[in-house]
Formats: sequence, structure tokens, C-alpha cells
Amino acid sequence: MNIIVCCKVVPEEQDIVVKDDGSIDLSRAAAKISQYDLNAIEAAMNLAGEGGQVTALTAGSPKWLESTKIRKDILSRGPHKLEIIMEPALEGALPDATAALLAPACREIGFDLIICGEGSGDLYAQQTGLLLGEMLDIPAINAVSSIAVENGALVVERELEREQEILEMPLPALVCVSSDINTPKIPTMKAILSAAKKPANVREGGEVKSLSEVVSICAPKAAERKNEIVEGDAEEKVDAFIAMLRKVLQG
Amino acid sequence: MSEFPTVFVIADSPEAFNELVPAAAALGAKTEAIYVGADEAAARRALALGAGRLHVSPARTGQIFEDHADTLAALVKGSGAALVLMRADKRGRAMAAKLGVKLGAAVVNDVSSIEEGVFGHMAYGGLAQAREKPGSPLVIATVAPGTFKAVEMESGDGAVEKLEFIEPKHPIRLRQSKARQASSADIGKAKRLVGVGRGFSKKEDISLAQKLADAIGAEIACSRPIAEGEQWLERERYIGVSGAMVKPDLYLAAGISGQVQHMVGVKDAKTIVVINKDKNAPIFRFADYGIVGDLYKILPALAKALG
Repeated sequence: MNIIVCCKVVPEEQDIVVKDDGSIDLSRAAAKISQYDLNAIEAAMNLAGEGGQVTALTAGSPKWLESTKIRKDILSRGPHKLEIIMEPALEGALPDATAALLAPACREIGFDLIICGEGSGDLYAQQTGLLLGEMLDIPAINAVSSIAVENGALVVERELEREQEILEMPLPALVCVSSDINTPKIPTMKAILSAAKKPANVREGGEVKSLSEVVSICAPKAAERKNEIVEGDAEEKVDAFIAMLRKVLQG
Repeated sequence: MSEFPTVFVIADSPEAFNELVPAAAALGAKTEAIYVGADEAAARRALALGAGRLHVSPARTGQIFEDHADTLAALVKGSGAALVLMRADKRGRAMAAKLGVKLGAAVVNDVSSIEEGVFGHMAYGGLAQAREKPGSPLVIATVAPGTFKAVEMESGDGAVEKLEFIEPKHPIRLRQSKARQASSADIGKAKRLVGVGRGFSKKEDISLAQKLADAIGAEIACSRPIAEGEQWLERERYIGVSGAMVKPDLYLAAGISGQVQHMVGVKDAKTIVVINKDKNAPIFRFADYGIVGDLYKILPALAKALG
């Protein structure tokens, strides 16, 4: 089985700075693998087993993808090789633009199955995977909570808001997996060391083009909070806190 | 003046029309509804709510809603529609992407506002609000629940048209479908919530939060790891960008660190109260009242004092 797992490198949310005018400053944010994509990588490794081939595919700006650290991080989670689409214009790109670059790369790499996370940690538009499947003209479905292969077809469980489904999909196919499909393992020291020896290939990107334009991204004004904090849990401190809470409850 | 000439709304459950059809009517000169499912009678409410026409693509054995994408695309194509609205649930997002590619339309998910052709939605885990301007003649938007006011309506009259099903090229076969057990919790409606986080070291300890919740008439809610990683509580109880967004009068967070993805779900809470042993936990920045200390000591004291 030949699996492509798509993963996005996103800024660490904890490092994002909101400036006074509400604008977002990513310059100090460290790169990390989008958390939902860790589930996708884990799912790919579990399904591939011993004999399968797993290729990680990522697309983004050199700002995030030039780092060997992040490349090794992806590879240490199991994939046999990494394909990188690097374009400066992919910084902040919308899902349709990203999917349009992923599609030809997937065709070139070749696959039986593409696995994506449910949504990215930054935009969380939950679109890129589904758009990619449709652009590749293969069956694609989201909210997948378990995957198995039976008689050459994919059997997936799908967890929706009001129902659970068991679906059979012909291969090749694409699935977006939900974060409860597995618990991603922390890479072992051996996996981290061997990641350095795995191939990472940078590909030609191409034009980054979206049907939409981002007008603005800014932080909404956060509600003013009173910020009355009691420090310590000695009895009198707890009593002071209870008094506060009583006031709130009487509202 | 109407912003869009014709707006289509698509739903797989008749209740979805309660919010979507009035929204479409407010945004467009003409509204047409599409229903995919088996309960055509209930779907007729779309007409009473203001849709000029109801198109029905009847449910098919062994096939899923998403298999109707070609059928719906054929109808919307050439109809002159400028906007398609759907619910921002998992099916809605899947259908939106399929229609987007088939119709060359921009897709915007989890839309919270539509004004002068600019669509608002969350970004960076809820830290920011993005405003996006689609450039395509047709836009497909999935709408976050509660964005528009729902109107209750049970029946209606008007033209109903059955759609001719177009067999998808790669049908997905439905082997089995079962309704999910309705959760006993509806944290969206609760006035008071007690949130449980990683600060609890085992599942049994949640009883400490439950006792306080019982004492003050609150529901139990939680952060993502508690529902998805540990599976100590049902998924319906988890608050955050990929879970529930709530607006209680009181949110009391115990042992929750306060990642932005969680906090965005309670940003509209009237009062936020925090218990955490880590003085530097980001959650204290969002607190009206807080205490730095051991929840194992504090929760029982609260339950006793307030019960």
C-alpha cells in the first residue's frame, strides 16, 4: 500500500503575539506540525504496517519549511520520505491554493490512499483535504475515525454529529481523519536518529492562486476581565475565594 | 437592497432550514431550498420559511448525502445562483468542498458574518477573526450554528420539485449507519459550567468537579484532551474551536491551562472563574476571579460551602 500523508507546518499558537492594534505577529512563533496532522501521520503508519510505503507531503513557505528540525520532526514520526512544496506565496495561503499545488504533486508521487488531518491548526478551514480529493477526482470523505482495508477496498468509520457510518470506498481514495482516530506516539530516540537519514525532496511549487482574497486577519477585542486572583490554597485563601464565588452566584 | 440575486440553501435535515432559509432570504432576492433526505413532508417548512421553491433529492439506500454532490451541482450550475448556504457540520463541509471544485466556486467554512461580499470566520484557533472576499461568481458558505436567528416553522406550501439523481463516478457505499446516542449533556444551554482539564489525574477524580457542579446547578464541560485523548467524558462536553462554543453566565475552569483553542469557546462567558495550581497558566489572563492552588483541596471545600 502506497500512502501519502499530508501535513502542514503551522506557527505554535502559544508564540503568536497579538499587537495592540489587533494585528497578528507570527515573527516569534516556532514552527510545529499541525496537531491534527499528527493523527494523520500516525494513522498512515498504522495502516501501512510493515510492507507499506508512506510519503509525507507538506506545502508551505520557506519560512517554516527550510528548517531541518521540522523536516526531521515529520520524518521521525515514521514516514519513509518527505516531499516538500516550498513557495513564499504559500504563507497564509487559502485552502484552494494549497490543494491546487498538492494535487499535481500527489499524482507524480503516486498513491493508493491519501490521508489528511481534519483541519489545520492555524486556519482550521477543514477544506484542503476534501478539495484535494475532489481535484484528483477520487472519492474523498472527512470525519473518519477508523480505517481498514478489506478485499482491496477501504472500510472507514465516520463519526458525524448525529450518526456514525461505516462506509466502503474504492481505492484510490482520500480520507480526512479526526483527532480521535488514535493517540500519536512520541518519536523514540532511534526514530529521531534515523529521521536524519531519510530522504527529503524539495519540489517545484508553481503559482499560488486562490479564488478568494484575505481582506484582514485580526484579533477581536477580548472581553475585559476583572482578574482578581487569590494566591495560595490555605484555608483563609480558599475562604476568600469562596466569598468571591458566592458573589458571582448571587449575580 | 439584496446582496445576492439568488441564494440556494442545502440541508440534509429539515430543522436546518429554520436558520438557513431566513438567512438566505435576508441576503438574497430569491431563495431556493434543496433537501436531501427521506422526510419530504418536514422539508416543506422551507417554503413556509420563505423559499420560493423546494428541490428534493430523495435519500437512496446504500448511499450517503455526499453522493448527491453531482445531482446538486447540476441544479446549481446555470441557475444564476450567487451563494449557496449550508450548515457548518461535517457533512456540510464535505459537500461544500465537492461543490466548490465541481462549480469553480470559492468555499468559506464556519462563516460567522456576511457583509458586502466579505465573509468572516475564525483563524489561528480562534485567536483571530479572518475576513475573506471571494472573487468567484458563486460562493459556497457553511454557516456556524447560531449565526443567524432561527425561525420555527413546521409546514408550508409551494412548488416542490424532485431532482433526477446523477450517479456519482466513485460512489461511496454505505454499509451501516446508526444514530449516535444522544448525549445527556447540552452544555450549550447550561447557564453554569464547570470545566475539567488535564489537572485531574484520573477519571474518578472528575467526581470532585461533579459534586461542585451539583452544588451550584452546573453542567460538566471539559477541554479537548479529556474528551478525545483520555475519553473520560463525552465529546459533546468538550469546549473549544473544534468542539462546543458556549456562552454561560458562569464558567468555572478547574485544572485547565487555557490554550487559546479552548478559551475561544468560552470567550463570551459572562464570568470566568479559574482554579489552577500553576500561577503562570495562561488561563489566569482570562479570569475574572481565580485561585492559585490545588484543585483536589479547593473543589471539595467549594462544594461543601456552596452546597
